[in-house]
Amino acid sequence: MAFDFQHCIRCTVCVANCPVFKVDPAFPGPKQSGPDAERFRSDDEPSIDRWIRLCSQCKRCEVACPYGVNPAEIILREQTRYGERHFRPFAQRLFAHTYWVGIVSSLFAPVVNLLTPRTFVKKVLSLFGLSIAIPFPLYYFHTMDRSWRWKGSRNSRKKAVFFYGCFINYNRPDIGRGVRDLLASLGVRVVIPRQVCCGLPALGNGDLETARKFARKNARILAGYIDKGFDVIYTCTSCGLSLTRDYPGILDIADGKKVAENSYNLHEYILKLMDEEYIRPVFDPLRRRVAYHIPCHLRALGIGYPAARLFEKIPGLEVHILEDNCCGLAGSYGFKKRNEHTSTTLGADAARAIKAVDPDILVTDCGACKMQLGYFSGISACDPSEILKESLKVTDPGI
Amino acid sequence: MNATYDVVIIGGGISGMMAAITLVGCGKKVAVVSKGDPVCCFSTGCVDVLADGENPLKGIGSLPEHHPYHLVGDKGIAEALGLFRGIMSAEGIPYVGDVHANRRVLTSLGRSKVTCLVPETMDFSDIDPHESLHILSFHKMKDFYPQYITSRYAKAAYSTFDAGVTTTVGIAERFEDSDFLDTFTTWMRGLAIQEERIAVPAVLGRGSSGAVYHRIGGECGRTVFEIPTLPPSMPGLRLFGGLKNAFLRRKGDLYWGRGIYSVEKLGNQIEAVTLTGPGRSTRVEGKAFILATGSFVSGGLQASRDAVMETVFNLPSYLPPGTRDAWFQDDFFAVGHEIEKAGIRVDASFRPLGTEIENLYVCGSILAFSEVMKYRCGHGMAIATGVAAAKACMGAYSGI
Ligand SMILES: Cc1cc2nc3c(=O)[nH]c(=O)nc-3n(C[C@H](O)[C@H](O)[C@H](O)COP(=O)(O)OP(=O)(O)OC[C@H]3O[C@@H](n4cnc5c(N)ncnc54)[C@H](O)[C@@H]3O)c2cc1C
Ligand code: SF4
Ligand code: SF4
Repeated sequence: MAFDFQHCIRCTVCVANCPVFKVDPAFPGPKQSGPDAERFRSDDEPSIDRWIRLCSQCKRCEVACPYGVNPAEIILREQTRYGERHFRPFAQRLFAHTYWVGIVSSLFAPVVNLLTPRTFVKKVLSLFGLSIAIPFPLYYFHTMDRSWRWKGSRNSRKKAVFFYGCFINYNRPDIGRGVRDLLASLGVRVVIPRQVCCGLPALGNGDLETARKFARKNARILAGYIDKGFDVIYTCTSCGLSLTRDYPGILDIADGKKVAENSYNLHEYILKLMDEEYIRPVFDPLRRRVAYHIPCHLRALGIGYPAARLFEKIPGLEVHILEDNCCGLAGSYGFKKRNEHTSTTLGADAARAIKAVDPDILVTDCGACKMQLGYFSGISACDPSEILKESLKVTDPGI
Repeated sequence: MNATYDVVIIGGGISGMMAAITLVGCGKKVAVVSKGDPVCCFSTGCVDVLADGENPLKGIGSLPEHHPYHLVGDKGIAEALGLFRGIMSAEGIPYVGDVHANRRVLTSLGRSKVTCLVPETMDFSDIDPHESLHILSFHKMKDFYPQYITSRYAKAAYSTFDAGVTTTVGIAERFEDSDFLDTFTTWMRGLAIQEERIAVPAVLGRGSSGAVYHRIGGECGRTVFEIPTLPPSMPGLRLFGGLKNAFLRRKGDLYWGRGIYSVEKLGNQIEAVTLTGPGRSTRVEGKAFILATGSFVSGGLQASRDAVMETVFNLPSYLPPGTRDAWFQDDFFAVGHEIEKAGIRVDASFRPLGTEIENLYVCGSILAFSEVMKYRCGHGMAIATGVAAAKACMGAYSGI
């Protein structure tokens, strides 16, 4: 991995695919920030590339590079090296700890939700380097960790633990409970164990140690279940990338490989159950025109677009796949004032592509994409699992 | 089974994508697996068919006996190019030109390049040195120097516009914004250009190039054309984007950014390929497979000291006869290097020779004897063999 930069032939394919490079002239792009600069870097010398933070870690460069260079990973390493040596502004520290922010905000959800839209609160947050271009997400008290923790028969042949991730937990627990019920309705015994943030926000904000702490804790819990014959299911594509890629990779933690090898995207898992003829679901028709925005991290997972393959089985559903745009929010990236221009320009771009297909509904897997594109397109965004639930007539008891 | 595709295509270049679109067009369930973006992304976007002579199709007859074009034939080539044009028009990136006539386009080095089909934004690019031309360039634009052209064209002049950004990708992105386009056209009208034609480096938008192009042409009342740039090349990216979206629109599945880690065989049939990557690997099952991984530049072929290897199935590949010394040539860039003949030999239905595998087809620049640089037949050959291999595959597997 460390010497992959030498395989770069300077074809510029990554540059052409980088959303940040398109709109922010201060960012030299994946080729220069990745393989080009890498040959001048040394572990003995401090990291000095201020602009390294401008990469949003969308991974589009990596998916595009035909020569296995992986500029995003080279940049990520440098971002963490930069983070170790340099003062990290308040916004970065805050977003490295979205997990704690979530715990506190959900505990005081009504108050937080009342305060964040207020102009004076926004002004204060803005002073601290936060972008107020799009509304902050709403928090819920009734989070996943306060929901019913198992579902489905103990005797099921298929057992799964659900790794829900922070966004679902604090901001859209309804989706999480829906996933739980959907899996249970497909004959899977679902368990929702204690878990913490996957670690990606910390990693993306240059805090390798915090990311490792989170990852170790999760890996210990998940590995325990895997040993008992459980599969791990995720729906958040960024959590998925973190579990399958970063745990055994840059975070390099015990049991990382085990977690990576046993984690499934929800829709990939449902397809697997169908392939194994464990289930034969009957999909009810849904007459709707869907714009399916593919999150960058779903592309990076390299598993194809499994939800789209399930959508094909729903009679009447007309699906338009949109995979050329990054939503721009990229987790917490767009919530930083420095990145506001990049994020909003890209968000508006992606929303234009969505509106061009004139959809009844907007579907996307990622929480950040949902917030950003829901706001810019004015069409509220739903999760692929919600479509499946509706077509499969899974009712939600809501606890 | 749900995970089984009728056809799995390995390599998402022009040939793989054309094969894929042909197959999904016939109702097949198709997956394209690709390690990364293809060569056409850094090409001019123009479709070379055969650069020698006036009529590329006529030239096919005089190509050496084993050239892959012979497997397709003039009629097949013309049909495939027609299919390609239909697809690109539907994607809003129409191509112009006549498959029976070559044409020239002006390049950013001030030379002209012979090609056949071009994006509509280069329709008026075939310019004589005595015609007058005004180049609209951009302040400090990277890798584009209008002086290369003005030094060769006596009646060419240029002006530069400050776009606030200096890269091809950055400027193209700006053109997607209507306010920017307004500012640009206002500036352009202010120049009161006298020359007959106007040329702009190829940065007129990403997906909306057609609209931007017509707007500029309408505002200045002159013929306008784009000049392909060094990579990143917008026309090349638009070409790739068009094919990819056409495939997605027809319900094709993409597995992008991953190479092939292993191949599963049962007897003489390939059953599945497993993709590289961390964690549990993704397995893609198919009834038939099409190999379109390109030549050396894309990694479909790999050369060692004394062999050329095909990187996915380890198919026997053709290497010019004799030892390396026998065909070694000092000047690699001299037209017609022997190594260009290396690749996979196929039978009349695009099945690889010298292997027992039955459900595999091969197309594109990985084919032996294609000699893409020598004959300048790049995208044209990729399109023609892609469509033909797809048809051969369908013919053999009518059951799929
Ligand atoms: C710099 C350059 C400029 C050119 N410009 C022009 C031009 O202007 N006009 C023109 O007509 N021709 C041009 N050509 C020639 C033309 O681009 C090619 O001949 C043609 O596009 C090849 O298409 P292809 O589909 O065969 O392969 P490629 O475009 O090479 O595509 C192969 C694909 O397979 C993928 N792949 C490779 N190995 C694996 C693997 N193991 N697993 C999965 N996927 C894999 C690659 O990532 C790639 O996406 C140019 C060539 C070059 C090198
Ligand atoms: S990193 Fe990959 S895509 Fe980028 S220039 Fe190098 S080889 Fe090309
Ligand atoms: S990860 Fe995304 S933002 Fe970062 S360099 Fe790559 S393409 Fe650009």
